[in-house]
Amino acid sequence: MNIISCFKVVPDEQDITIKPNRDISFEKAPMTISAYDLNCIEAGAQLAEAFEGNLIGVSIGAKKIDDSKLKKNVLSRGPESILMVADDFLEDLDTYQTANALKAAIQKVGEFDLILCGEGSADLYAQQVGAQLGQLLNVPVINSVNKIALMEGKVIVERSLEDEVETIEIPLPAVISVTSDINLPRIPSMKQILAAGKKSATILSALDVGIGDFGATLQVIETKAPEQKERKKDIIQGDSDEAIKSFITKINKVLK
Amino acid sequence: MKVFVFTEKVKSLLELCQGARQIGERVEAIIIQSQDNQDNGAADKVWSIPMQDGVMLEDYTETLAALLEREKPDLLLIEPSKRCKLIAGRLAAIFETSVMTDLIELTKEGEGRHLVYGGAAIRKEKSNNSLSIATVGPGVLQGTGEAGKGETEIFPFVEPSNKMKVINIVQKTKSSVDLPNAKRVVGVGRGIAKEEDLGMIRELAEVIDAEVGCSRPIAEAERWMPKETYIGVSGLMLSPEVYVAIGISGQVQHTVGMNRSKVVIAINKDKNAAIFGQADYGIVGDLYKVVPALVDQLK
Ligand SMILES: Cc1cc2nc3c(=O)[nH]c(=O)nc-3n(C[C@H](O)[C@H](O)[C@H](O)COP(=O)(O)OP(=O)(O)OC[C@H]3O[C@@H](n4cnc5c(N)ncnc54)[C@H](O)[C@@H]3O)c2cc1C
Ligand SMILES: Nc1ncnc2c1ncn2[C@@H]1O[C@H](COP(=O)(O)O)[C@@H](O)[C@H]1O
Repeated sequence: MNIISCFKVVPDEQDITIKPNRDISFEKAPMTISAYDLNCIEAGAQLAEAFEGNLIGVSIGAKKIDDSKLKKNVLSRGPESILMVADDFLEDLDTYQTANALKAAIQKVGEFDLILCGEGSADLYAQQVGAQLGQLLNVPVINSVNKIALMEGKVIVERSLEDEVETIEIPLPAVISVTSDINLPRIPSMKQILAAGKKSATILSALDVGIGDFGATLQVIETKAPEQKERKKDIIQGDSDEAIKSFITKINKVLK
Repeated sequence: MKVFVFTEKVKSLLELCQGARQIGERVEAIIIQSQDNQDNGAADKVWSIPMQDGVMLEDYTETLAALLEREKPDLLLIEPSKRCKLIAGRLAAIFETSVMTDLIELTKEGEGRHLVYGGAAIRKEKSNNSLSIATVGPGVLQGTGEAGKGETEIFPFVEPSNKMKVINIVQKTKSSVDLPNAKRVVGVGRGIAKEEDLGMIRELAEVIDAEVGCSRPIAEAERWMPKETYIGVSGLMLSPEVYVAIGISGQVQHTVGMNRSKVVIAINKDKNAAIFGQADYGIVGDLYKVVPALVDQLK
């Protein structure tokens, strides 16, 4: 049983800053695992552990995603190995380019039974890469999956949609995008962290996987922080009875 | 510009077709024709795909692709539901493009705007492909209410290459709160320690005549509140008169969903919490002390 968890490496959103001209700056933002891909890795790890499968983490991005601390973090969460296509040529890809690059990387891995994607990436949150990847690989693809039951040659999944919960049977191989409430990502134990140091990571260039020429399908015209609404910022320090009283006086005017 | 429209729900079709009139001269709707769906969605033309027994919506993707291939519209507008996002992604892969997702604006020139980096930025983009695909929520494109001629043509079903088997469908029970229309909203976050403490928050909401919403972890990780009630980039985008954030740190993914509120009030024990930068009134204190005092004194 070969399982692949696709994870994106993104600048930590908490450290994104906004310049006076409303441009976005990543200078202070370290690279991190896209939040909901922790659930994707965990889902892969649980299936691999239960079915003696082999889990590989796959990621596409610029050279800077090849970060030793980050790789160790991923490997301590279950995957046996990592495959990264890290090339500055692959920075800021659109979802079609990403899905194509993932397809090329996965074809290097060889046979797979199940490919897992997260609910959406922390930066784009397009919720598209899984759908596109499944189509490009010409295998069944489904999204919004809350539960996966693995069986011989197929999976039965539960999908949480807007108005209904749907149970469907899907033949393998398949691509499945999981929700963020499919599981609670583990906090790696000391043992898992130590074991991660012994696992392997393969780093390839775009050329290695044969993705030479692909133009962007979307033309980005601009990316700017929105104008902020001016707020009064009348903040009272402390929760003494007196402070609370003066807080109440202030908000009472609003609530009247 | 020729615009095609596809939705999951019949109700959204009319709205999106009317909105599509703002963008293109010609609007054509695609529907899966069943007994209870005879609506033509105010389009100039309706493409009617005969409904197949036991086939899920996603399995009409190949049919949609064949229709788009033949009719070559400039733009396909799709409702941003989960099913439709899957269909949109697959279509984009077939037509070698990407979907402009969850647009908050779309111009006649085909330029779309949407949130990126959790709402920290807005990106303006345009398709490089002859077919643009966009998911657009109801209400984004203001419609005119003009009705089209509604000529109908049947388009045959194309057998999908990978069919899935639906085993079971259970309807979800909908929560009855109407947060988007509430004048006042109390938002509760991870600052509360246990589910029972929601009682105290609800009491406050009642006293100030507000509805209760929450941050994503309260709904998704803790499951203390229904998923339809979380506020933010991947949840509800609200603009009430008053928003009271209780025990919410104020990360951008949350604040984009409430920063259009007229007045923002924050209660948080951390004086450095980002929420205070976005608040009109605030108190740095323990919510377990402040909230009961508010309930008591605002009664
Ligand atoms: C792609 C993506 C999409 C997301 N979409 C959303 C979204 O739509 N909506 C959303 O909300 N989040 C979303 N998130 C999550 C978001 O990043 C934050 O993790 C989340 O908003 C934090 O919720 P919180 O403020 O309740 O919790 P925390 O950040 O944990 O904050 C809890 C706050 O409570 C305060 N507190 C603790 N105890 C007390 C006390 N006794 N009295 C007073 N204050 C106290 C603390 O000081 C702290 O500020 C998304 C994340 C990603 C990656
Ligand atoms: N660059 C990438 N490398 C690996 N996986 C990715 C990448 N971008 C997106 N994904 C996967 O696709 C999912 C959806 O991403 P998106 O369509 O950008 O919201 C993510 O949760 C990841 O599992």
